Amino acid sequence: MNIICLVKFVPDITGFGYDYEASSMVRNHTRMVLNPDDVCALSFAFKVKERHPDSQIQVVSMGPTTVVPHMHDLLRIPVDKGTLISDPLFAGSDTYATSEVLGSYLKTQSFDCILSGSRSLDGATSQVPPQIAEILSLDHMLDISEIDVEKISPTEAVFSVEGERETTTWSMQLPGVLSLGRSSTCKLPYPSYADLQRDVSDKLTILTNKELGLDPSHVGLEGSLTKVVNTYDANSRRRAKTVVETNEEGIEFVFSYLKDRGFV
Amino acid sequence: MNNEKIIEQLKTMLEPTQINTNSEDLYDASADRYKKYAKARNVLDVPAPLAIVYPYTPEQVRDLLVFCNTNLINVIPRAGKTATEGGLENWKEQTLVIDALHLDSIINIDTYNMQATVQAGVPLQVLEDALRKEGFTTGHSPQSKPVAKLGGLVATRSIGQFSTLYGAIEDMVVGLECVFPDGHISKIKNVPRRSGGPDIRHIAIGNEGTLCYITEVTVKMFKIYPENNKFYGYLIKDVDTGIKILREVMANGFRPSVARTYSEEDAAQHFYHFHKNKCVLLFMAEGPKGIVKATGEAIEQAVEKFKDGIIEQVDSKHIENWFNNLNWSQQDIDDEFEGMKEHDSHSGFTTEISADWSTITKIYYNVMKRVKEEYPRFHDLTMLGGHSSHSYINGTNMYFVYNYDIHCAPEDEMRVYHHPMQRIIVEETLRLGGSMCHHHGIGKFRNEWTKQEHGSAYYMLEKLKEAFDPNGIMNFGTIFPQEEGKKYQ
Ligand SMILES: Cc1cc2nc3c(=O)[nH]c(=O)nc-3n(C[C@H](O)[C@H](O)[C@H](O)COP(=O)(O)OP(=O)(O)OC[C@H]3O[C@@H](n4cnc5c(N)ncnc54)[C@H](O)[C@@H]3O)c2cc1C
Repeated sequence: MNIICLVKFVPDITGFGYDYEASSMVRNHTRMVLNPDDVCALSFAFKVKERHPDSQIQVVSMGPTTVVPHMHDLLRIPVDKGTLISDPLFAGSDTYATSEVLGSYLKTQSFDCILSGSRSLDGATSQVPPQIAEILSLDHMLDISEIDVEKISPTEAVFSVEGERETTTWSMQLPGVLSLGRSSTCKLPYPSYADLQRDVSDKLTILTNKELGLDPSHVGLEGSLTKVVNTYDANSRRRAKTVVETNEEGIEFVFSYLKDRGFV
Repeated sequence: MNNEKIIEQLKTMLEPTQINTNSEDLYDASADRYKKYAKARNVLDVPAPLAIVYPYTPEQVRDLLVFCNTNLINVIPRAGKTATEGGLENWKEQTLVIDALHLDSIINIDTYNMQATVQAGVPLQVLEDALRKEGFTTGHSPQSKPVAKLGGLVATRSIGQFSTLYGAIEDMVVGLECVFPDGHISKIKNVPRRSGGPDIRHIAIGNEGTLCYITEVTVKMFKIYPENNKFYGYLIKDVDTGIKILREVMANGFRPSVARTYSEEDAAQHFYHFHKNKCVLLFMAEGPKGIVKATGEAIEQAVEKFKDGIIEQVDSKHIENWFNNLNWSQQDIDDEFEGMKEHDSHSGFTTEISADWSTITKIYYNVMKRVKEEYPRFHDLTMLGGHSSHSYINGTNMYFVYNYDIHCAPEDEMRVYHHPMQRIIVEETLRLGGSMCHHHGIGKFRNEWTKQEHGSAYYMLEKLKEAFDPNGIMNFGTIFPQEEGKKYQ
């Protein structure tokens, strides 16, 4: 199988604080990590490769060149080929402009299947994968919980989508775009110690607009149809603080708090 | 002698219950917390020892050491198993772990002469609890207090959180008993002081099981006045300010029991409820009322002198609460180990160094700069910071702390992540004249720098090894570099 994985490196929000007074995120420990949903997409690509060793995996990402060490890490796992689309012209692209850029590159590639995550940690709009499918005139499915690795072939994929009430099983003709949801069980393979030192720069292509040749007014801030008005951390709402003692009462309080929210 | 024969011989010296050859326990005994992630993932690359033995008396320790010395069997002395630097890791095919489990008696608590004598396998917490009942303390409070035992604490030159007042373990040990590989049992008597030649306590203190087996220790006791404790906390602009204030308090002749400065990053993980992304300075004053009052005033004066670097004072209750929950129990250690089976990350790895006042911040900033510029896995670091937590009249320590996500095979973690980081810290420290190991000992993973640490004085250390352990059976690879062990580093 010939698989393309669309991946994005996102700020690691676990290192963020939230400044309630200024209502803004404190990003002083910012570092980039592979978007968790994309880990699941790539991890599935490796499962396919394990079964069909002649499969090829290409990882495609759009972002700043600071993510090059992360792309190199993926190439050491090893992903067969990496493509980083990076140009200051593209900075500030909204999901529409991003899809235009990625789509223009993907049109030049041959593949059986495009895998992606369903949503990114930093934007969570889920708009890029369906827009890309549209540009490429392919079918698309979002929030896939599992793709059947035994049944996938260059012409068909069978997968499950978890809804609120039930899990449905689907099949789709390939080529198509399949977007996986996050699961804590997804893991990427480890590079070997020797591979960690290996120079993989020849497997990474960095493309700018010089190669893609898009009209500058269709990309970046200028080409964006939407603008970000405000960003907030979805998890950081100010809550009343309750301090409990480490006694029976305190333990009971914490236990029922967790129980009410379905954690235990 | 082959392995079966060794076990057979042990059976003639000990009861069957004193010999443990259970494979899980042997796997556990083959490494300490240095390689805890690889251990949790069942991928340790070192050989397991042949057996763990549990002597009841110093004489049994003697017989075991003589047996190993005669048959060239490596010995790893073991106490509370909280070693962090590879002191308990095994690098030899034929190794006996001599565990102090049954050397567990509190021999004497002498409240008039203010000293307590215990065997090497007594957990510090047990001794501390016994002393507290009488209104005393050992003054020794490492975070591992609930688990670490006196033999290990003395063998590693450990230090506690209240060291700035009470001193480190070497200031507390008045006498001890130890057994050498040739079977000689030495007892250093308990006197307030003497000038009988070099202080031979220091041959045993800090030997990390490489020269002798410590069987008994006598430590000082101190009166405790918990009702007088006072806590002080401040948010400060930078590490420099914190170090200057620590110095001011110490140089003026005061000894708070706790005196610490945290970088922003480290403060954020310790003081999540008040750090506001700033550095933190904190103190604790304890002792008789008058001393606490004088120490408190000295702290306030020092803070006033450097007020340009102070952002705000923190509610002292926060500092007190934090201290009361700082120690690690066996349960915490076990939970961390279980967590490592699932999570590809490592939190709270540390390298602790020391230097004089004018050098310590240079080391700190140099390390931060070099890590950012040179560390190949910088993009996997989730936290890098440090704190100074033990101060002296002429300088202080720096405890570098780092967390990272692991993107390599579990067996490679140390050499991919921790060791390159430790190398930068150690190189910068040695280059600027500091000590690369403030309180965890050298273990097996800083031994490549032992010679550099001691410089021309390494001669003295080497001679001690030659004299007391001529066959090299004591804790192979610890402190003293060994070519043969490099494959495990
Ligand atoms: C959570 C945690 C917190 C810690 N906090 C601190 C701290 O605040 N301060 C600090 O100084 N350290 C700290 N440490 C490190 C560790 O607790 C100390 O090094 C401690 O002194 C080790 O004691 P132990 O009884 O566990 O010895 P072990 O781990 O059993 O052994 C340590 C070393 O001593 C040798 N040894 C053990 N017993 C004997 C003996 N009877 N005779 C000769 N050699 C012997 C061993 O061979 C080994 O090299 C911490 C460790 C952990 C896990």
